[in-house]
Amino acid sequence: MTPPNRARSDCLRPIEPGVLLDYWLALLPAAEEDAVEVHLLECDACGEQLREMIALSDGLRTLARSGSLRVVVGEDLVQHALGAGLLVRQYAFEPGQTVHCTISADDDLLVARLAADMSGATRVDLSFCDPHGVERQRMTDIPVVSDAGGVILHESAVFGKRSPSTSMVARLLAVDAEGAEQLLGEYTFHHTRTIPGPPGWEW
Amino acid sequence: MGPRIRLYGLRHLRSAAAADDLVQQVLVKMLEALRAGRLRDADKLAHFVLGTCRMTVLDQRRSARRQEQLLEEFGGVLVPAQREMPPLDADRLARCVQTLRERERTVVVMTFFDERTAAESGRSLGITEANVRVIRHRALRQLRTCMEAGS
Repeated sequence: MTPPNRARSDCLRPIEPGVLLDYWLALLPAAEEDAVEVHLLECDACGEQLREMIALSDGLRTLARSGSLRVVVGEDLVQHALGAGLLVRQYAFEPGQTVHCTISADDDLLVARLAADMSGATRVDLSFCDPHGVERQRMTDIPVVSDAGGVILHESAVFGKRSPSTSMVARLLAVDAEGAEQLLGEYTFHHTRTIPGPPGWEW
Repeated sequence: MGPRIRLYGLRHLRSAAAADDLVQQVLVKMLEALRAGRLRDADKLAHFVLGTCRMTVLDQRRSARRQEQLLEEFGGVLVPAQREMPPLDADRLARCVQTLRERERTVVVMTFFDERTAAESGRSLGITEANVRVIRHRALRQLRTCMEAGS
């Protein structure tokens, strides 16, 4: 990407890149959009910046739809993916439950629904542990809807497809201001590899 | 009168769209003439219309010739070369997204997966619309900085 100062040096009133991105995503109010369009008809420097925002936007859209990210998502993303015809492999967990899971080569997205009572929690972390209980990764302060009854984890399908048969424990933890943790739910994934490939790793 | 003018137009302009345009232009001029009292004798209506058709077609042809000449002379400048989008390092972008905080990564994914508005993402995540905007702007600023650091 072009350093901003170089790209914007020819413009006396450069439009903020974030505004240009909102313009590209059609998120601006009509009056602000008009002003941006008038400016873009007069200013090549901001036009160049807009092209960079379009490239960034395209890259993020490709990445978001690739299924390669481990990220907490909302229900409407799952519903939209299903509506768009994507193959979404979903597993639902109750607290304390062990679920045997896998992923096929055709699956586009891999989703785990982790049920938990999160009412009253101000901060929730999602911790991933190996079968020995050693924490391997922590997602700190994940977005939660307190009365949603759980969390939707969009697991990396790329990771899942490459993973050997193994077990993983996920823990939802409420964390208070002093850092004290309270277990909201523990969920054990017994993953069985069904896609041929090289041997994977051991924890 | 309209269909007749259109036939004239088809004959001389060889284009249905141009003939339709001619009908409109000639009828407008005819109405203006009638309202101005310049066309009182009904017997002269056809002559008036024909003359108007001829003048209008001549104007159109002159205008078309001028356009062709201008395009021939300046076409290369008037039609800008297609600008390529700047290249983006997708692997780096993926690494940059991994450096975001959880809420930021969630908002970015929710926004770009289906170009969700802040209100829609907020409803789904239990965050206010304004907060989604703040998180998204902060995340995108960090992503731009991360990408620029690698370029």
